[in-house]
Amino acid sequence: MSQAATELIRISGHAGVVPGKGLNREFQVCKLVDTTTCIGCKACEVACLEWNGYTFSETTFDNTYQTMPETAWNYWNLIKFNEHERADGTMMLLMRKDQCMHCADPGCLAACPADAAIVQYANGIVDFQEANCIGCGYCMTGCPFNIPKFDPPSRKVFKCTLCNDRVSVGLEPACIKACPTGCLHFGTKSEMKELAETRATQLRENSGFQDAGVYDPAGVGGTHVIYVLHDAKNPELYGGLPKDPHVPLSVRLWKGPLKWIGNFGMIFGVVGVFIHYLRFGPKVVKEDEQESHGGTP
Amino acid sequence: MSREPYLLSNGRVLRYSFRERLVHWLAGISYVYLLLTGLAFWSPWLFWIAVVLGGPTTSRELHPWFGLIFFVGVWLMYDMWHRQMKETPADKAWWAAIGHYIRNEDDQVPSADRFNPGQKLLFWGFFWNAIVLLLTGLILWLPQYIPWDLRFLRLAAVFIHPVCALATIALFIIHVYMGTAMERGAFGSVIRGDVSRAWADKHHHTWYEQILRGSAARK
Amino acid sequence: MTNGWIDIKNTDMMLIMGGNPAENHPCGFKWAMEAKRNRNAKIISVDPRFTRTSATADLFLQIRAGTDIAFLGGLIRYAIENNRIAKEYLVNYTNASFIVKEGFKLPEDGLYSGFDSATGKYDLSTWNYEGTGGSGGQAGSTGHAPEPTPGKVGGAVPPPALPTDVSYDLTLQHPRCVFQLLKQQYSRYTPDVVERITGIPKDQYLKAIDLFTSVRKDGDMKKVATIIYAVGWTQHTFGTQIIRTAAMIQLLLGNVGRAGGGVNALRGHSNIQGATDMAGLYDSLPGYLKAPALTDTDLAAYLKRTTPTASKPTPWASFNYYSNTPKFVVSLLKSFYGDAATKENGFAFDYLPKAGQDCSWTHIWEDMYNGKIKGMLAFGMNGVMIGPDTNKNINALKKADWLVVGEIYEDETSEFWRAPGISPEEQKNINTTVYRLPCAGFAEKDGTMTNSARWVTWKYAAVPPPGQARLDQDIIAQIFLRVRDLYKKEGGKFPDPILNLSWAYADAAHPPLAQVAMELNGKALADLKDDVTGQVIKAGQQLPGFAWLKDDGTTMCGNWIYSGMWTEAGSQVQRRGTEDPSGMGVFPNWAWSWPANRRILYNRASCNPEGKPWDADRKQIWWNEAAGKWVGNDVPDFKPDSHPNDHMGPFIMNPEGIGRLFAPIGVLADGPFPEHYEPIESPVKNPFHPEQSNNPLVKKFNTPFDKFGSPEEYSIVCTTYRLTEQYHYWTKNNPMNVQLIPEPFVEIPVELADEKGIRGTDKIKVISARGTYIAKAFVTRRLKPMMIDGKKVYQIGLPIHQGFRGIQEDKDRDARTPANLLTPAVTDPNAHTPESKGFLVKVEKA
Repeated sequence: MSQAATELIRISGHAGVVPGKGLNREFQVCKLVDTTTCIGCKACEVACLEWNGYTFSETTFDNTYQTMPETAWNYWNLIKFNEHERADGTMMLLMRKDQCMHCADPGCLAACPADAAIVQYANGIVDFQEANCIGCGYCMTGCPFNIPKFDPPSRKVFKCTLCNDRVSVGLEPACIKACPTGCLHFGTKSEMKELAETRATQLRENSGFQDAGVYDPAGVGGTHVIYVLHDAKNPELYGGLPKDPHVPLSVRLWKGPLKWIGNFGMIFGVVGVFIHYLRFGPKVVKEDEQESHGGTP
Repeated sequence: MSREPYLLSNGRVLRYSFRERLVHWLAGISYVYLLLTGLAFWSPWLFWIAVVLGGPTTSRELHPWFGLIFFVGVWLMYDMWHRQMKETPADKAWWAAIGHYIRNEDDQVPSADRFNPGQKLLFWGFFWNAIVLLLTGLILWLPQYIPWDLRFLRLAAVFIHPVCALATIALFIIHVYMGTAMERGAFGSVIRGDVSRAWADKHHHTWYEQILRGSAARK
Repeated sequence: MTNGWIDIKNTDMMLIMGGNPAENHPCGFKWAMEAKRNRNAKIISVDPRFTRTSATADLFLQIRAGTDIAFLGGLIRYAIENNRIAKEYLVNYTNASFIVKEGFKLPEDGLYSGFDSATGKYDLSTWNYEGTGGSGGQAGSTGHAPEPTPGKVGGAVPPPALPTDVSYDLTLQHPRCVFQLLKQQYSRYTPDVVERITGIPKDQYLKAIDLFTSVRKDGDMKKVATIIYAVGWTQHTFGTQIIRTAAMIQLLLGNVGRAGGGVNALRGHSNIQGATDMAGLYDSLPGYLKAPALTDTDLAAYLKRTTPTASKPTPWASFNYYSNTPKFVVSLLKSFYGDAATKENGFAFDYLPKAGQDCSWTHIWEDMYNGKIKGMLAFGMNGVMIGPDTNKNINALKKADWLVVGEIYEDETSEFWRAPGISPEEQKNINTTVYRLPCAGFAEKDGTMTNSARWVTWKYAAVPPPGQARLDQDIIAQIFLRVRDLYKKEGGKFPDPILNLSWAYADAAHPPLAQVAMELNGKALADLKDDVTGQVIKAGQQLPGFAWLKDDGTTMCGNWIYSGMWTEAGSQVQRRGTEDPSGMGVFPNWAWSWPANRRILYNRASCNPEGKPWDADRKQIWWNEAAGKWVGNDVPDFKPDSHPNDHMGPFIMNPEGIGRLFAPIGVLADGPFPEHYEPIESPVKNPFHPEQSNNPLVKKFNTPFDKFGSPEEYSIVCTTYRLTEQYHYWTKNNPMNVQLIPEPFVEIPVELADEKGIRGTDKIKVISARGTYIAKAFVTRRLKPMMIDGKKVYQIGLPIHQGFRGIQEDKDRDARTPANLLTPAVTDPNAHTPESKGFLVKVEKA
């Protein structure tokens, strides 16, 4: 039962306000990834695999520590590595855990044509319901983070579920449980945002990262996975994290104005021809006229 | 061109040969499937169509295949008719009289050839849109093969495909209306292939005249 | 570690050098991240390449492998020069004020006083304090037994001894006091020279050492720094001296004994600490007691040699805890031989084997190669892969009569006979009989594990061993019982130690490890009474701790440092108390740490000489005047009732009671102060003393496999390391690890790759004088070319994890070669660790 349902609204014989009444309880969950304390150990990659029951697959060495180039239908979270040399010549090895961002305004959901193939919960988790997925791949086009991945044999698309099955029974996601350095945090969105901002401030004031900040992109309405970055001005350095992600314009246009225009057009068209028929009737050929009057030719 | 004489022994005129009718329905029926499944993906209100047509996944699976079939149909029609569909100087006058045509003041409308300019518009409209639908459709069919760097192709396809589809729907609504309710005898022409002489004379006078001259020449 | 894992969260400053904890100790590294997050602690990462640890560091310096002493020596110089030292700590808790004998000479030419080039050994008599008295043992050193006269047992010249009363100068001005000698020794280690040797640009170097020593700016004692290291420091022919330099720095800066401080070794295996505690090395007995030598004619002679007497300034006190050595040794002998060990027979001292030679790792393989060792039992030990000089090891095994491998999978050692390069013809000529015993994996057995922080934790088996796999103790027990039977039936040369070995387990063939643990803890063999407290322990009862051990045969104890882990109160190592009242990560009720559950060693030094903590916010222990004893959040590593006025030294395991800046008479064989020596294979001559470039005590072997390369032919410095995703040599059998890192690679600088026309993932060969390693190139910016003494030098590195047997290896994908094909069989003269880092190679396209 939802927590909101058992909130107290009246108490007998009680002086003063009803405690907790009308409190704005926050249900939004959030995963905070602090890239400044990530050590790229991949415990999160393995935990995700094991929790979700996927087997290990063959990989190839590709001049990087990265396990594979991108997340896959059966590999939902991936540490991306980037060797970055700063202007002053110092080295950085940027390591970012890449997975679904669970956007508040998800592009995948906006683009998906299949009924209930993608759902968004009150807690912010965006989940694929594979039973309803038709395998069209529109979600892949709608997502600005290149997250949903297609599996040809099953013809379904998969992505990180923010461990919805664990979260819904009060557990933290598997990746968070596995992280050894505690660079992954889990809690409510406001808690995590506060923690992230505190950490970013700490980085700016104490670690010489003047551009440290929190990545919580407004273009997709904010996300339920946020990052603390050493350099929030250049998120692309972190394995291609988009600077200003948003639901693509073409998807917006299609689902917005084009829908209206198209629907109106089609309805207008059908109604229009019906009205035309009422008004003008069919084109009649002479012989028909004769026949209709029953006269002899 | 069919070898059958246009003037039939039963006194009627051969409008469309067997081949032409077959190809038309190849395109037509596949188009209807495309339309229905397309509408299901277009609007959540119409998603039930996909459910009814064998399931949403099946519909998504088959939609592109029917798209290919449709394109073959369009290609064959192009092959058969594109010469007759070319714009001619006479078309201008016909379009000028479009108001009369709509109001069924057909005596005010200049004579039409085998295909009147309206039909030509339908033909070319379907032809070009079919090409774009095919190209964007291929992208939408196999989006997992379009790499991230080329995602602009997917983004463009996602918008352009429904735009072209809507364009064909507009043409389709008019085409079906005209082919069924509006022009008596037109439907028969694409089923049994023949029309009455009066029909031919009224709607495609120029073409009818040519037939008479031709058969007269043959006689 | 002197401190512990969790304690790292208390630090203000970390120097992580010769170690890569983010990758190799990711769980422990959490505490470094906690320190960063919660205390704004700074991390300085010094490594031959930019690692995942460096990625979290505030400062990274790329160093040439093997030049750490130059770096650290320069740090000492800087600290002294800028008065960033803990003056009071230095004077009172170290031997800074002790005066060294006349005749002692610093190694400006690469040699200390007393070197005999004929024998290649040092006469240690000048490496000593000035003072009077002293006929005791060898100052509790880890040093070596005196050389036996060939053919003669006993009667060797006794080694020099420390004076009981040491001359000292508390003003630290005397020209021969340790502090002045220290200053002089490192005066040569200027930033310019450090740059020449290490390749670190001067300005970067100064920035780093300035940062590190800033914790002691103007001598302020509040802040604390820690030094964290691993085998990047130990795997050199001067590895122990590198660690010594770090210890000296920490003493100079007053960081030892304090929360968030210390000298912290990150052990590379979950129970390697347990292995070394239990004497997995030939030159020690359990609990770091000295192994007996040929010159120890009897127990008395041995105890005389190994039991130190206090050596200190007269007014000071020294607990000199190793003065209790006889109690530890006798109790150990009683645990080995039970009733057969009596006062009359010197507690069966004669049963203990005495090594007449160096029996360390490389000598084992050398002896096997030369036919002296006929067979080997290798338990969970993949010798062919562990190296160094894999080819030598393989060829040694070819000559052995038999090999028994106890493992959980087929490893390279048990398959040495079909290593790549051995033809089927040659295989036919290999006559070694190989026995493979399936053993239990780590999750299939119980027992204790001792981590780097000395915490001994009991673990439970999760699943039983599969199929025919047996527990290690069962295998060893059953071999022992059969050998004993054979001796009983057939007799033999001196069977007494076997026949009289105590084996009083509930089930002789399946000894429960809990019983073994109780044996290690020790028990009373007679009723014991403490005269001071009146406490009585009855015969047969577990002892509360090592303070109860006796040298008269009334106690037995398998390992004195583990005494207290399984008492009458129960198994301390099974405790799981999560309370941490001080908030400093002490967790006194979780498991049990040696010694006596002390979490931070030398914690008396966390207070000033008056007994008040240097930092009130990180109090560990302190002197309670009213109670008349030391109290606090940790168990005091000290005599509990020693009043601060007694001026007892915090370093109770040294006979001086102080921490040694100067390590006297052979504590380390190659010098009282660390001196920069070049790795045996080096691109340059030692800028300090080109004629004595290397450690003079390092020996080379002479087999055809012991080849060394010249820098002209092999111009690239190579190092080896581990990755997070794989664990040594066995995870290549596990699909999960193989997915994460599927193939071997060699990390090479972009510039080197461009020079050779190599692109990332091209197959390349890394060749040393000893072998060829083939793998794909990993072209990276995390390794930069360096300028070493004016010469451009490249440094490359390779992970060690792949060999010739594993999931991918068995699929015949690429030639997969052990990394140790490349490394040389030369070792540190004190710890005998091989020089696996900092050797020379060349690189070619494959």
